[in-house]
Amino acid sequence: MKIKVAGVGLTKFGELWDKSLLDLAIEASIGAIKDSRIDKKAIDAIFVGNMLIGKIAGQDHLGPVVASSLGLSCASFRIEGACASGGLAVHLAIQGILAGTYKNVLVVGVEKMTDAPTGQITWALMGASSSKERKAGLTFPALYALITQAHMQKYGTTRKQLAAVSVKNHYHASLNKSAQYPFEITIEKVLNSNLISYPITLFDSSPITDGAAAVVLSSDTNSKGVYITGSATFSDTIDLAERDSLTEFKATKLACSEALSQAGVEIQDIRVAEVHDCFTIAEILAMEDLGFCPAGAGGKFVESRTTRLGGKCPVNTSGGLKACGHPVGATGVKQIIEITQQLKDSAGARQVKNANCGLTQNVGGTGATVVVHVLQN
Amino acid sequence: MSSPVTVWRNHKNLHLYLGKEGKVITWTKVFVAPSGFEHEAPYFVAIIKFNDGKKMPLQLVDCEEKNLKPNQKFITVVRKLGKVKLDEVIEYGIKAKPL
Repeated sequence: MKIKVAGVGLTKFGELWDKSLLDLAIEASIGAIKDSRIDKKAIDAIFVGNMLIGKIAGQDHLGPVVASSLGLSCASFRIEGACASGGLAVHLAIQGILAGTYKNVLVVGVEKMTDAPTGQITWALMGASSSKERKAGLTFPALYALITQAHMQKYGTTRKQLAAVSVKNHYHASLNKSAQYPFEITIEKVLNSNLISYPITLFDSSPITDGAAAVVLSSDTNSKGVYITGSATFSDTIDLAERDSLTEFKATKLACSEALSQAGVEIQDIRVAEVHDCFTIAEILAMEDLGFCPAGAGGKFVESRTTRLGGKCPVNTSGGLKACGHPVGATGVKQIIEITQQLKDSAGARQVKNANCGLTQNVGGTGATVVVHVLQN
Repeated sequence: MSSPVTVWRNHKNLHLYLGKEGKVITWTKVFVAPSGFEHEAPYFVAIIKFNDGKKMPLQLVDCEEKNLKPNQKFITVVRKLGKVKLDEVIEYGIKAKPL
């Protein structure tokens, strides 16, 4: 499989009160189309990754909303897969190209979250959970707190190890001008911040963010550039309690195995990765489930600085969801952009040396949907 | 909160989950609660494994942190779910208390 990432476009992530969802989607889309040097009229289809706008602003039917604003009449789709909406949109766009239906596809992930009160956003996000979980008074921080407690109990993972994820990702974000929180923090800052759901604190959690990310994908395989060589998605039970294990995401393991197989590479070949650190425990699970370290060793692995810029395999060089921000529909597309920039040697101060193979992992809910992509130059 | 017909439908199945005994697998204390649960925060939620092997997320009632020790048994009970306005239907659901 070989799908070219022909162009990328990214807005600033943050509290962007002067911009609407459409402003953000169009800014990123135009950026990606310009970067691709492909004539706008050659775009065959648009895939829009978005989770929340129907619930918080009443705007559904987002495909044509974006297409018409770009002056295009091509096929257009809105893809929803909770926080994996962006990654799923990329995956489905790739299927459209592989099927021979489309040659050039625009994928734009977008979310406008800060227009709504926090309580409404929390309620809307819980649409990605089961009805039993909602009736139990759970939130996503609380669901990931249940996973955190299970991991601590089984493997002895510590709050300090969890905090190391946030500290690393804030350091990376301090080098990224698009990030929502481009500044460093300390372990103590994470440990002493307000508890959201024990043991998860505010600084263990990704924020509420506005932003958009877009890529133009192309069937062109005759030119130099960055290519997606593996793309896979798998599902798991929507209800966390129904899983055999609370300390792993089965869908991550399956999607990673399939994507690596498609690309013809091993996890040891990955030089840089963007993973779904919606809460600090999620990055530790990702390290284990993707195979960067054994089950239970994720806490020590993160503490070892292997995944910090300058380490053997830097993870979340964008700042991740924690510090770059998490506009949920955009996140999976932003991950593709970050790895593309790394493989093009254009990541500036956060450039990973000799990056030639990268991976993204985008999670919906508590691992009910996982999308993994492998990129190579 | 849920519509009256949804509440009516859900109430018909409550007996299926009543009086079941089990143990806590993992728990959390929710400080920032979702809409409708704010008045109860902070509160405990756990995944309970019942004697028949099935697992379920449940809010814990009549429970203190000292009850969350290994091998502590819990039993399911009926309680009001969240808070509703005066003109809304009260929804009841399953929670768990220490045995």
